[in-house]
Amino acid sequence: MPPGAKRLLRSVAAVLAAATWVVDARAVDGAAVSPVRVVSQTVGTDEMLIALADPGQIAALSKLAADPEFSAVAAQAAGYPRLEPNGDAESVLRYRPTLVLCANYSRAELVAQLRRAGVRVLVFADYTTMDDAYANLRRLARELGAEARAERLIAGCRLRMDRLSRTLRGVTPARVIAPSVYGAIPGADTTFQDLCDHAGAINLAATLGHLRGHAPPPVEQMLTWPVDEVVLGGWNAGEALAPFRQLSPYEYMDAVKSGRVALVKPYQLSCVSFHRVDGYEALARALHPGAFP
Amino acid sequence: MAFAPSSLNALEVAGATVPGRIEWVSLRLPPGMMVGLIGPNGSGKSTLLDVAAGLLPATGAVFWGNRPVGTLSPLERGRSAAWVPQEARFEFGFTVRSVVAQGRYAHGDDDQGVDQALASLDLTALAARPVNRLSGGERQRVLLARALATAAPLQLWDEPLAALDPRHALEVLLLARRLADAGSTILFSLQDLRVASCLDAVVLMEGGRLRAFGPPDSVLTPVALAEVFGVRARSAPGTIFELA
Amino acid sequence: MILSARSSRNALPGALLLLAAAAVLSLAVGDVRLGPARIWDGLLHRDALASTVLWQIRLPRMAVGVLVGAALGAAGLIMQAYFRNSLASPDLLGVSTGGAAGAAVAIGTGWAAVSLWALPAAALAGSFVAMGAVLILARRGASTERLLLAGVALNALLGAVTAYILSRYTDVYQRNAQILFWLMGGLEDRMGMHIMIALPIPLAALALWPLGRPMDLLSLGEAEAQSLGIDVRRLRRRLIAIATVMTATATAVAGTVGFVGLIVPHILRLLVGPEHRRLVPLALVGGAVFVLGCDLIGRMAGGLRLGIVTALIGGPFFLWLLRRHP
Repeated sequence: MPPGAKRLLRSVAAVLAAATWVVDARAVDGAAVSPVRVVSQTVGTDEMLIALADPGQIAALSKLAADPEFSAVAAQAAGYPRLEPNGDAESVLRYRPTLVLCANYSRAELVAQLRRAGVRVLVFADYTTMDDAYANLRRLARELGAEARAERLIAGCRLRMDRLSRTLRGVTPARVIAPSVYGAIPGADTTFQDLCDHAGAINLAATLGHLRGHAPPPVEQMLTWPVDEVVLGGWNAGEALAPFRQLSPYEYMDAVKSGRVALVKPYQLSCVSFHRVDGYEALARALHPGAFP
Repeated sequence: MAFAPSSLNALEVAGATVPGRIEWVSLRLPPGMMVGLIGPNGSGKSTLLDVAAGLLPATGAVFWGNRPVGTLSPLERGRSAAWVPQEARFEFGFTVRSVVAQGRYAHGDDDQGVDQALASLDLTALAARPVNRLSGGERQRVLLARALATAAPLQLWDEPLAALDPRHALEVLLLARRLADAGSTILFSLQDLRVASCLDAVVLMEGGRLRAFGPPDSVLTPVALAEVFGVRARSAPGTIFELA
Repeated sequence: MILSARSSRNALPGALLLLAAAAVLSLAVGDVRLGPARIWDGLLHRDALASTVLWQIRLPRMAVGVLVGAALGAAGLIMQAYFRNSLASPDLLGVSTGGAAGAAVAIGTGWAAVSLWALPAAALAGSFVAMGAVLILARRGASTERLLLAGVALNALLGAVTAYILSRYTDVYQRNAQILFWLMGGLEDRMGMHIMIALPIPLAALALWPLGRPMDLLSLGEAEAQSLGIDVRRLRRRLIAIATVMTATATAVAGTVGFVGLIVPHILRLLVGPEHRRLVPLALVGGAVFVLGCDLIGRMAGGLRLGIVTALIGGPFFLWLLRRHP
């Protein structure tokens, strides 16, 4: 078969595929289906999708979307289907998406399979700072035609960030760590560090412990650090602190013994989308209650 | 070469040494002979058989029918000599028949002479039994039948009678006699000195060295018996077992 | 032997039938509901979604499953004959642990995200390290005991590499999750490239085909086999090479899938006896059936990975085996 004919056949097939896709979806669902159907694979993209998309455009969210420990939009996500934990490409394709949102740590084979199936895949690789979050919002908004909504969101976040930095001007930064029962605590270059930078806090794990990323802390040295407060994710300060009261070395820390806890919601410690501004405000309020009227 | 063979011998071992086991053992066996290998425990009988079978590397040389064993291809070796180990351990449940048929591997078929071999060792009734469900004596007979099936002119058997009951032991001796009369050479180790009288020749090992080789009467002298085994022989009227 | 001699002759056609059935089921089961009509249309490229799902997702998955199952079944059979022990398996010599270490390095350092070929290539490289060590020892005529001990040492060393990677890269949780995902072994998202990487498997199977009778002799004793006319050294080298190539390739393509090489030859031996001329083709087909079957069970149970299903079946089976073997 001559190559030109192959290309022609392929483009005809693609057109037919697009047509049958829509027809097929209609046949199964029995109702008209939006031309844009988005599946989100990660919590960060879930949060963006819920903020920017019309409900009819959301085909499925990530497996953690409705888990309040990880997701800032747990309540809103409850109404949408969620992906299976160890799903393969088929488990994504069953929602017949036109667009799939992944992160750079998603399985490369899965991304390749989806692309080969003719689905557009957006891979988000930068999500460490607030500016990254704005860029990601704009990128998704372009796909959905929701640029105006995105700009409004970004403007609102900017406003809150400005207000926050003004409130925190002149405030003595609090010295904090984020203890963990798993043996590794966040140092520099983590979401927690970003949180501290915007909430008037100094992450002692980075400054005194010289930790980068999530790493085990120098246990004995840590006891000498002047920790003002421990930052914990949870719903109740007492419950969140309880495991550390019995865990070495935290049980010997003054901050733990005196119960000096700055509580934020669990998902705020790991949030990578624009919702991190909620985390900034929450931590700032917890650390510097006097600065907020 | 210092170890060139002289006349046509079924087996020639020249100056074989395995450190710690045997030392400077030389042996020449003509065809058509039934030879016993005797000696106290640890005298090197099994080692000598392993070396003669070409399975254990040793300094010195081994010839089968005047050909150095090292020059033979593995298949030729399979056709030229058969070796039966002291103990049979079968991990898998092959049938008796298929194990005996393995003796035909070097010949490229798997049924020529197998039935006769089974019959010679009284295994016809057990032909379909898995070998890992046999008694010790039955397993020994399977090994012997396999060696028989190879139709090899040189047979090297390590303690073939040890686990056998009196009847089967006699049958094996008769079988060896028939093979020797037909031109094969059988060298086998044994512990029961009373059997020695029916052999053509006896090899006496002591402490890793070959002490004597020749007809049984000339080797198993009272002096030899006393020095090597620490026993005395006395003739007396006694019971002799024969096949019924 | 559970089956009579006559039934044993029907075992291979029966197994092939089972394989065909498993293959058809593999194409029919999945998250996207496709009835028989749509499957047919999909196979003929008349239905776009069905054809994508069938040709790009389910067919490669099934093909890789067949190849991986055949490889592991045959490799297990070889190991059991080689070590003269029906409890042997392909994992003994550290080849799959080497593959795991290679994959862990590729995922942990992020190379796996750069190119799709990086992960299987790294797994193969890790397996080659283990394979190299094993083959050097086998070439020197090492006894089976020494090889086993070398395998133990390799498993420990290469397992430590994987554990180190997991501990080192804890800051990117998702990478660790991916490593663990891979370690469970599975057939998700297999593509044409994985089938290509697995091509040595049918070649190795061809090399294994004529070795059935020699394996019979070898499995009852090395000295005995030598005296019966087998070039034992050459046979052992060949068998080890085939088994390690099959294990390494299967691991590179599907992760570490355990118990297939232990269970399949064992069950087959119980059914049709220990003759390797019969067992070699049956192990290839039987291994494929077993892997496809476990994959189907995993898919229908809501996404259990293949390695988990084989372990859930294999663990109790292994315990039962130990009870039978005093």
